[in-house]
Amino acid sequence: MKLLDVSNLHASVETDDGPQPILKGLNLTVKAGEVHAIMGPNGSGKSTLANILSGRPGYTVDGGEVMLGNNNLLNLEPFERAQMGIFLAFQYPVEIPGVSNMEFLKASIDSLARARGEEQPNTANFMRTVRELAGSLDLDPAFLKRGVNEGFSGGEKKRNEIMQLLLLNPKLALLDETDSGLDIDALKVVADGVNRYRNQSNGVVLITHYQRLLDYIVPDYVHVLSNGLIIESGDKSLALELEAKGYAWLT
Amino acid sequence: MADLALPKTLLVPAGLAEGLTESGGTINDIVQDALNSPIHRERWKYTKADGFLTQLVALSKAPTIYGEQQTGVRWLRETISNPIPGLDLQQGPEAFARLCFSGEAMRLEITGSVTDPVTLIHRSNTLPVIVNLSASASLTLIEMIEGDEGQQTVWIDIGPNAKLNHSRNALNAASSSWQYASVRLQSSARYHLNNHVLGCGVRRQDLHVIMDGQGADAKLVSAGMVDNKAALDQQITLEHRQPRGHSEQTIHNIVANGGKCSFNGRIHIHDGASGTEAQLSNKNLGLGDNATINTKPELEIYNDDVSCSHGATVGTLSQEALFYLTSRGIDKAEAEALLSQGFLQQCIDGPLAETALKAMIGIRELGASL
Ligand SMILES: Nc1ncnc2c1ncn2[C@@H]1O[C@H](COP(=O)(O)OP(=O)(O)OP(=O)(O)O)[C@@H](O)[C@H]1O
Ligand SMILES: [Mg+2]
Repeated sequence: MKLLDVSNLHASVETDDGPQPILKGLNLTVKAGEVHAIMGPNGSGKSTLANILSGRPGYTVDGGEVMLGNNNLLNLEPFERAQMGIFLAFQYPVEIPGVSNMEFLKASIDSLARARGEEQPNTANFMRTVRELAGSLDLDPAFLKRGVNEGFSGGEKKRNEIMQLLLLNPKLALLDETDSGLDIDALKVVADGVNRYRNQSNGVVLITHYQRLLDYIVPDYVHVLSNGLIIESGDKSLALELEAKGYAWLT
Repeated sequence: MADLALPKTLLVPAGLAEGLTESGGTINDIVQDALNSPIHRERWKYTKADGFLTQLVALSKAPTIYGEQQTGVRWLRETISNPIPGLDLQQGPEAFARLCFSGEAMRLEITGSVTDPVTLIHRSNTLPVIVNLSASASLTLIEMIEGDEGQQTVWIDIGPNAKLNHSRNALNAASSSWQYASVRLQSSARYHLNNHVLGCGVRRQDLHVIMDGQGADAKLVSAGMVDNKAALDQQITLEHRQPRGHSEQTIHNIVANGGKCSFNGRIHIHDGASGTEAQLSNKNLGLGDNATINTKPELEIYNDDVSCSHGATVGTLSQEALFYLTSRGIDKAEAEALLSQGFLQQCIDGPLAETALKAMIGIRELGASL
């Protein structure tokens, strides 16, 4: 079953010198149960792709289509996309002083439940679940009372993203360099979290620069994004080849 | 601009006048001149002073008090007959005039470590309150401002090593409301204020803090919400007169939908106040249409050996933060509400926090249980 279908996606950002095209006719299909790794040089458009799928303001879609199941995503607000099952683990998670993590997570889970016509979890159970999840990602539950990502180390922010992934359990997870800035132990904890999330009905798009992550989260496909297009696709062995040879031989 | 005038001729209680008339002229003239000095006129730049002046002679009654029947607490009504520590006619000529017109005051004397809070409820105009903590005493003082039109003036003197935690809620929907507080700290005294305030027809809050002993420590935290064409004008003067004082001020105000908010924070570090550390941060969040925000930091430093930071910002909700919240399924209106709550919540604390949260931002179910 097709989960995500991106076809012929053209997108640009507004710069001082006018609109600058970033994505130039990108195609990507993710079926339920699959993990797709996206690699590629800095500035090639990987984050742009993830941002556009999740609806971040600041980009203009100039053409193409993005379907999540039977829903066309492109005209939806970010919260509507999230309610349909899109989740973006941020390359740079945002700090929000004054809004506690717990409060934020409850607001989020309640919104998703409402949108799906499900019952909102009762507060006590919810808080227990969140504490257990935090523990399973080596996050001190005391973090939950602090402001969202406030004063978290780089690695803690990334683990917090994965905790949200496990809590919100979306249909499609877009992980933008969730491995960068992690020490080796944290990398395993994060990879273990993603593997726990994976099942036959959801999908993962994993943006990374390092093949090492793919030893822990084994992808079904590896794609190379360069200058706004996917120029090469393969299986896990492509990542090993890139590690050895770099990107130059492809372009 | 026409001169500001007192509503009637002012007579000064004996004792209070000590040292004031040396410069010549009647006390009425001195007060009148202070009202019209350029510095003082500047403090009334954004709020019309006339209405507040007219009300100086309004009938006042004692505030309602709770917690006064504890060891170490005395509460009495008295004729004003002695100098008031920290009184500065130039800084607060209106408050001084109010003392004179009233002729009487309520005195709260604290002589030990008082365990339960003392609560003052001000309904409309109340008599001036003089608070005195003797050496090493400690107290939690709670003030709640109620009623439609009203003025409250408080004169606080904190003795050596004494400690005052002061929480104030001014959340009433008054047509006009004025809170004046003068706080003097002696050596190693500590003062901590949590102020929560809603804008109203016209609301003015003056605070004058004098670090008058070595190693005094003051922390002022204030959250304000000025919505629906309401107004708030906050004027804070903090003077470091003695060495090694430490002061920290954090003031967050949301101004929304035609609200008007002015903040003026002056820090004055006198010659001789070496080793002073003073910080002030005033952040303003403008929401909706036509919010007016004036914020003016003022620094006067007559000493090299100080560390001082002073910052004021005016902004709107962070687009990054909004996207982060909405990307988790929270709709835009709720995300905005969460962010504005978070902004204020950073400055809501102490025994009145819960009431303030409810009145200012509508408490979230989970907030209470955390
Ligand atoms: N808001 C913006 N304004 C101007 N240029 C932008 C903006 N956003 C992205 N770009 C440009 O678009 C290009 C693609 O950026 P993107 O962040 O998608 O790259 P990336 O593949 O994620 O890179 P990295 O590996 O460094 O994270 C870059 O050249 C970048 O400078
Ligand atoms: Mg990127």
